[in-house]
Amino acid sequence: MSGSVVARLIRKDLVLARWPVTGALIGGAASLAIMPLTSVTAYVGGVTFVCVLVILNIILVMNGVVQERKDKTQIFILSLPVSTAQYVAAKVVANALAFTVPWAVLSAAAVVVIVRSPIPDGLLAFWAVLLGYLLAYYFVLLGVALLSDRSGWHASAITVGNISINLLIPALLNLPSIARQTSSPIAVWTADIVALTLGEVLVGAVVLAWAIRYRSRRADHV
Amino acid sequence: MSEPVILLDGVEKTYPYFRLTNIALQLDAGQILGFVGPNGAGKSTTLRILMAMVQQDRGTVRVLGRSLPREQAAAKQDIGFVSEDMRLHGSESLAWHMRLVADLCPGWDAAYATALVGRFNLHPEQQVRALSHGERIKAALLLALARRPRLLILDEPTTGLDPVARHEVLAELMDVVQDERRAVLFSSHNTHDVEQISDQIAFIDRGRIVDTGDKETFLDRWRRLRLDVPPGVTLPAAAGVIDTSTSGRQAIVTTRAYAPGFEAGYAAAGVGIHAVERLTLEEIFVATVMHNRRERAA
Repeated sequence: MSGSVVARLIRKDLVLARWPVTGALIGGAASLAIMPLTSVTAYVGGVTFVCVLVILNIILVMNGVVQERKDKTQIFILSLPVSTAQYVAAKVVANALAFTVPWAVLSAAAVVVIVRSPIPDGLLAFWAVLLGYLLAYYFVLLGVALLSDRSGWHASAITVGNISINLLIPALLNLPSIARQTSSPIAVWTADIVALTLGEVLVGAVVLAWAIRYRSRRADHV
Repeated sequence: MSEPVILLDGVEKTYPYFRLTNIALQLDAGQILGFVGPNGAGKSTTLRILMAMVQQDRGTVRVLGRSLPREQAAAKQDIGFVSEDMRLHGSESLAWHMRLVADLCPGWDAAYATALVGRFNLHPEQQVRALSHGERIKAALLLALARRPRLLILDEPTTGLDPVARHEVLAELMDVVQDERRAVLFSSHNTHDVEQISDQIAFIDRGRIVDTGDKETFLDRWRRLRLDVPPGVTLPAAAGVIDTSTSGRQAIVTTRAYAPGFEAGYAAAGVGIHAVERLTLEEIFVATVMHNRRERAA
């Protein structure tokens, strides 16, 4: 019964997230579709692609976790035969699925577009680090939302996350192992690129795991 | 003798600026307990402890024979909860919520839910965000009642309702409690609503239960005496007097220990008795709270 309760809550949250997820898949696909056309559309498509995933991240966390607490919808769900542990587990899994599945689909699509279009394959290394950052940003924002009820913390996490993208992109393009292959037809996976990508995801995952542990042990849930 | 539906003993919860102190409450099957207190008295905190949404720092909480918060999911199988500030998912319809609750609650009574939709004049396909406050409360009540719970916990459900909606909600509650196996815990600062449907009363103020008992006993043991005190006559001490005010020869005495023959003591001392009046629950509530605050301040 416990498992099925969590599964039902996950299904409920996924239904609630259907429109942002659908919008992100459409927006992400459209931005990838224009990337191979010209150098200008490649830039516009790339920026739009990143924005789509950032917006999906923010909408899912703010609507699914933060707003549910603020609106007291959480009280309604916790009035049902659901334990607080089941509620937290379902909330995290559903929210993570709602982000990571579109992220994975769009990331795979981005790889396909780069490989099968005139866009240099050498950019794959740059994209891998960028996509890793977007996943880590999501993990951290979800973690902050679980850790704190204060909107100041959420706004700070979003601000830092968004500003960091603007710092990360030029920094990556100036990283020698990425800079020397931006026009190359072959992607080279150097140790620093692999370490950077895995490191980003690992840091995000650790923050999220810690936040889940903290939230599950909290005595008060409303 | 079966275990009480609700048993709170020595429950405490401390926040930075508020403390729930030594809360003890009992509710048996078939009873309706009106939980009355001013805003910020600790009603919602107590009710949320009963729903395991908030965990007590100390004390025992047993609901429907289950220990909370450990067995919360099992206990909540048979508890319906509605609070004034509870919200449904605004982007979804009432019908969507009915399907969700039916999916999670084995006791869901679809026929009763349909009947309540008609009785409350709700439209199942309407988005929740388009509902008025009264419709929202009725929708939440429908979702709780159609589960056919053994215990209904209602946190200020009539707050903000217009008189018609309040009448509809109270009428439905009166109907529900005809079933003697059910129990209702009804919190409010509106004593009129509580007086209308409750058979047990508990007053809470500043985090402490200040009085509790069955409603009829409450109403029976409280009296206001309007007295004429001639010059040279002193008001005699009497049991349970919590307030005495005088103006010239006139004196008003409020007692919480009234019994037949109570006024005889005054008459024997030469005090004239103009009237012996019953108090409303609201008057009793205010007198109890003010007396309690004076005693604690002293």
